[in-house]
Amino acid sequence: MPSGGAAGMEPEPDQPKAVAGGGRRKHLAMLERLSKHSSSSTTSTASALPDSTSASPVVAFLTRFAAAKLAAESALSACRASSSPEDEATASLAAAAAAIDDLDRLVAESSHALPPYELRSALAAAADLRAAHRAAASEIRPKKSFSFRNKSRAPKNPPQDPATVPPPQPPPPEQPKPSIDVILPGFGFRARNGATLVKDLRVSNDKDGDFTLADLVSCEVFLKGKCRALYVHKLRDCRVFVGAVIGSVLIEDVEGCTFVMAAHQIRIHEARATDFYLRVRSRPIIEDCSGVRFAPHALKYDGIDEDLKESGLEEETGNWANVDDFKWLRAVQSPNWCLVPEEERLQTVDISEIHEREHDS
Amino acid sequence: MGLLSIIRKIKRKEKEMRILMVGLDNSGKTTIVLKINGEDTSVISPTLGFNIKTIKYQKYSLNIWDVGGQKTIRSYWRNYFEQTDGLVWVVDSSDVRRLDDCRAELHNLLKEERLAGASLLVFANKQDIQGALKPAEIAKVLDLAAMEKSRHWQIVGCSAATGDGLLQGFDWLVQDVASRIYVLD
Ligand SMILES: Nc1nc2c(ncn2[C@@H]2O[C@H](COP(=O)(O)OP(=O)(O)OP(=O)(O)O)[C@@H](O)[C@H]2O)c(=O)[nH]1
Ligand SMILES: [Mg+2]
Repeated sequence: MPSGGAAGMEPEPDQPKAVAGGGRRKHLAMLERLSKHSSSSTTSTASALPDSTSASPVVAFLTRFAAAKLAAESALSACRASSSPEDEATASLAAAAAAIDDLDRLVAESSHALPPYELRSALAAAADLRAAHRAAASEIRPKKSFSFRNKSRAPKNPPQDPATVPPPQPPPPEQPKPSIDVILPGFGFRARNGATLVKDLRVSNDKDGDFTLADLVSCEVFLKGKCRALYVHKLRDCRVFVGAVIGSVLIEDVEGCTFVMAAHQIRIHEARATDFYLRVRSRPIIEDCSGVRFAPHALKYDGIDEDLKESGLEEETGNWANVDDFKWLRAVQSPNWCLVPEEERLQTVDISEIHEREHDS
Repeated sequence: MGLLSIIRKIKRKEKEMRILMVGLDNSGKTTIVLKINGEDTSVISPTLGFNIKTIKYQKYSLNIWDVGGQKTIRSYWRNYFEQTDGLVWVVDSSDVRRLDDCRAELHNLLKEERLAGASLLVFANKQDIQGALKPAEIAKVLDLAAMEKSRHWQIVGCSAATGDGLLQGFDWLVQDVASRIYVLD
């Protein structure tokens, strides 16, 4: 027999789990408790844990933020899910709005104690929920379908300018040095200088593979067709044209290059003085970059439309311009990237006449 | 009764587990979580922060924390360590070049005292990609054998793209955690 007692009668305050399966009333009750707790300094979660003392306001914040976010999300999904009477959906909507208000308040109250990254991601999460709430609201008043695509990331008036908080200095992780031997390199072009490198993935059986470009200097690379993943490492002064990547592109350590490509995700690390002409489903991200510029996709060859379509990349999302700089945690524009001015942009590059055959020079 | 056993008792009652998903950026953490939750995986952004999902799995309620793996934000992982029952380390099996990085970050993480009791599931993800390393090869490069005795661990090949292997991995993790936490039932 499980023991009875107070703990069994009431959901634990401040625990995300209390929200997961509960109804709206429970959410509201919990949120009320949350907002009360937010004015006193200890919570049951923080005090029950041996090594999370009051010295760790970030942990306490994250726990409370998580609970409030879950509450908002489940209220939102409740009102989306309900095919039920309109007033029920409206009630869920109101609960969601209250939960989001509480989220904002929580963030505002804690903002002085939060490192900039936590603050920014909390702000972004709250802004996303607001956008979802707006969308849900417009669905309830029967309207046409609504697009979620361009929800804004940051609220217009953040409670505090994150730029005034100095960025944290994470300790560098330990780097043991044993290296990977006996591993076959996958498909790709490696260690070339001044070459024109052409690969048509449509005529080979590599379409389910990944492709690697590594250690290239002053090369032109033409990759037609589709692949599942693309890894790019250490390129200098190269021009790279890629058809369609069904998954993600990871680019590290490039300088003085131009890339024209389409992919679902693009992550760029340690790029310098490089231009990117992109079509991308999600927001491109940069980390440890400087002098990188972005422009819309500009590539053509016979069959590229089919390649893009079959890869789910036929739609121009406009995300090529929505770059997230993980090294720039402030509200103002990152100094590390910009758009290529229109008058400097490449014309659409037509590589139809370039065929598989390497021309070394 | 100590505080910890009280916490354990509450958890036991509610059959809840807290799962922390970490690994290098681009390894597929978010895709895995959305896939097992039956959600759309066609547009996923690199995670700038964290996502939490509560998923009913068998008779358990999994609280899954999916934390971003970009280098800049790895130092924030430690904010999520508390009360972790199960740790999922996700590896991009086709990203051979960064496996050294991957091993260093994993071993760094496993030194963390607050994670000492957590079961470890290593997902060798992206097995659908031709040329991806097999789980046995990944285990070797990551030197998983080094912790043979000190921790419950398991490596499972999977593909978040097709869903292969995901349930097998979570089945092991949930069973392993359950056998440690819920023995009293
Ligand atoms: N082919 C293939 N691609 C995958 C698989 N799993 C994930 N991907 C792709 O890999 C990329 C990265 O996936 P995410 O889920 O965003 O990776 P993550 O680990 O959450 O990355 P961070 O949030 O930056 O830490 C995406 O483009 C996915 O589509 C897989 O099993 N097979
Ligand atoms: Mg992610």
